[in-house]
Amino acid sequence: MNSTSSGFGRRNFLRTSGIAAAAIFGGAALAACTSAVSEQKAGGDDATPVRGGTLKVGIREDLVPANLLTNTAATPIVIGLVYESLIRYPNDTLDPKPLLAKSWQLAADGRSLSLDLRDDVKFHSGRPFTAKDVEFSLRTYADAKWSAQLRSSAAAVTGFDIVSPTRIVLRLAHPLSNIYDLLDTVPILDSETADKLGTGDTYIGTGPFKYVQRVPNSQLIFEKNPDYWIPERPYLDRVEVSIIPDPNALLNALKSGQIAAARELSYRDAENLGKSGGYTVHDLEGAELQAYVGVNVTEPALADVRVRQAIAYSLDRERIINEVFRGAGYPLNVPWPKNSPAFDESRNTKYSRDLPKAKQLLDQSARPPKLPLTFAPGYGEVAQIVQANLADVGIEVELDPVDAATFVKQLTGQQFRGLWVTDHSWAQFVPSTLTVSAYPFNARRNASRYDSPAYTAAADTAWQLAQGTGPEAVRAYQAVTDQLLEGLFLIEIGVRFQQYSTVNKVHGFAWTKRREPVLTDTFLS
Amino acid sequence: MTRYLLHRLPSALLVLFGASVLIFLLLRLVPGDPATILAGNDATPQTIEVIRHQLGLDRAVPVQYLHWLGDVLTLDLGRSYIIGGEITDLVGRGLTNTLVLTVTALLLAVLVSLVVSVASVLWPSRWLDTVVAAANTIAVALPTFVVGPLLVLVFAIAIPVLPAGGVPPDGFIARPDIAVQYLLLPAICLALPVSAALTRFLTEALRTELAKQYVLTARSLGIGYREIVTRGALRNALPTMLTVLGIQTGQLLGGAVLVEAAFVWPGIGQLIEQGISRRDYPLVQVLLLLSVAVFVVIQLITDVAHAWLDPRIRIGGRS
Repeated sequence: MNSTSSGFGRRNFLRTSGIAAAAIFGGAALAACTSAVSEQKAGGDDATPVRGGTLKVGIREDLVPANLLTNTAATPIVIGLVYESLIRYPNDTLDPKPLLAKSWQLAADGRSLSLDLRDDVKFHSGRPFTAKDVEFSLRTYADAKWSAQLRSSAAAVTGFDIVSPTRIVLRLAHPLSNIYDLLDTVPILDSETADKLGTGDTYIGTGPFKYVQRVPNSQLIFEKNPDYWIPERPYLDRVEVSIIPDPNALLNALKSGQIAAARELSYRDAENLGKSGGYTVHDLEGAELQAYVGVNVTEPALADVRVRQAIAYSLDRERIINEVFRGAGYPLNVPWPKNSPAFDESRNTKYSRDLPKAKQLLDQSARPPKLPLTFAPGYGEVAQIVQANLADVGIEVELDPVDAATFVKQLTGQQFRGLWVTDHSWAQFVPSTLTVSAYPFNARRNASRYDSPAYTAAADTAWQLAQGTGPEAVRAYQAVTDQLLEGLFLIEIGVRFQQYSTVNKVHGFAWTKRREPVLTDTFLS
Repeated sequence: MTRYLLHRLPSALLVLFGASVLIFLLLRLVPGDPATILAGNDATPQTIEVIRHQLGLDRAVPVQYLHWLGDVLTLDLGRSYIIGGEITDLVGRGLTNTLVLTVTALLLAVLVSLVVSVASVLWPSRWLDTVVAAANTIAVALPTFVVGPLLVLVFAIAIPVLPAGGVPPDGFIARPDIAVQYLLLPAICLALPVSAALTRFLTEALRTELAKQYVLTARSLGIGYREIVTRGALRNALPTMLTVLGIQTGQLLGGAVLVEAAFVWPGIGQLIEQGISRRDYPLVQVLLLLSVAVFVVIQLITDVAHAWLDPRIRIGGRS
């Protein structure tokens, strides 16, 4: 073989191959006219410090259009940017502030509420917002097909007296202590395009950003509403939300500058980012989620309340908060966060960890056989700690991991065979909302199959008060708390905060009590 | 060739029909359904029933199957229950992304394997063999879920020259220079194990060919070694490579699921994962059937190409 005389020798071959490889692997990146990386960063870095720019956000779950009113997955983003409600709670109190309603007057008997609306608000379609839209939105929210959490409260609004385009009186079936929760939660919908809500084809609201486009499983795009009723707002021109299901890919996207804000990095990644400088981790305080251990009280081994008390005494809540949620939360015995009018410190320490007491209770009852502990992805670490805690007092637990769809099916179908771990929301609102809106707490039908006339009565009493706050309400909530602590069909672990991690150039990032981002005052420096 | 193709078609159609029945039934055996997902955690049984009725899930399973089969045969794929939008659009978009990624990866793999294999037999040397063997071993041994993050860490975070993930914002056509940058990392990640396997098989096939008598005869006639390799041995070795390529293409599509997750590439893999985890029946049924169809078609193409290259198979097919 004479490779050199052929004109296609080894040296030539290697040289040609090298050039080809460089052209394929590196040339495209290095010789390209424009860098894709620079383009990704351009939205933030080249933005005007105060006004303009594109905020790129990464989240792990896509929108489910049919779930628009359920406060799950990506719906808080759409609701927070596109829609507005009549009033808004500050994150740390239950003192309603005006939003689309300028003022309101609750009747002395608590059975009607008159609302005065803003007259300078337009939907993104250009149509003016009026009292008819309030009626339409509340009626839509109460429709069973939307499965909205505060549906029972919306259904208690039985009459709508439209006095003028800017004045409406809501007639209530009974006094409704959580009426302001309802008004804070229900997005004002455009009746002309409501048939497209469930398909995700368009979203028309009155909010600071207009919905532009959705690429399923990939992206949601919004742009500034130029006719927004708050002058000179929003600052941002555009918001692009990327769906990045993998937590590592989400972290990489944030670190590489592809996005400027990420929702729900793993708690450990967020902790490390916060320490590294250049990033801010926002614990969504005021929009608490609460981890709990659920109990099927009809299982013979768990029917004896002393076994449930032993479980409550054996939980190492501090360890779960510190190790799993990396300190982004705090332990609780009661289902209310610390800023709730129902929170009471003495009740909150009732089941502090006490292993001798747990063992003593188990000695007095029939020791349970091995119990299944069901959990969905994301709750594996909590389940393992609960398993170890229960082993400390001699309760054997078998971990039962299921996927999210199966978990929901078992939760709503009352199909858990023993224990389960997950979290609940809505405790940060008027406490009666929890017992009528969050399914695990529902007095009449819940995942635990717990049925107690005393609990039902306490929950109904608290719900049908005219005022959601004040001494009378606090007494009613404490009665509910006592029922929950006595029944122990749900054993609380503690608050965990959902987190957004942002690069430091993002300023003015805010959120509602339902974890909806509020970007009205957000800007990029 | 046409007769050979017609001979193979009935079994392919039978496989597709069987797959459609299995897919439909298996999905319904999985616990959880779209109605509970749509209803959410706080739904009452009445709400779930209302949604189940709306989706037609309260009808008998055979009725649901026939309805679905009729829709598929008339190319009316309907709407996705959970993800939302027309299934045709969802599948079209996902398929385009996956095809662009896998075809790029396949081209890379074929190119690399051809160059390396031909170089290995044209200029045999110990160091080249050692380097190629080591590279192949690493490429096969390292799983894509390790290679992917490594590539991102190096080329998107440590030395930020390429995007960490995603597809080109303006599509693949509008800005080819940008599109290539988005494609490079996931395509390399996906191509590595395939190129290693192809290189190994092609090199061995070439060496086997070069040990045959006709090569000795050709050399004795004074034909250049390069010509013998490129025009003789390579052509004879290609059928073996094609068979491996068919199998590897299937693996490539399987590997695409992991690569798509690591590089946030919204392709079919991501769509299947989302659809299954959310029990989006109509979408998953179409996607799984499509996956089976792709495998059947690839197998068919491989066999036809094989028959084209090797007349004995054609004749066998005819008889």
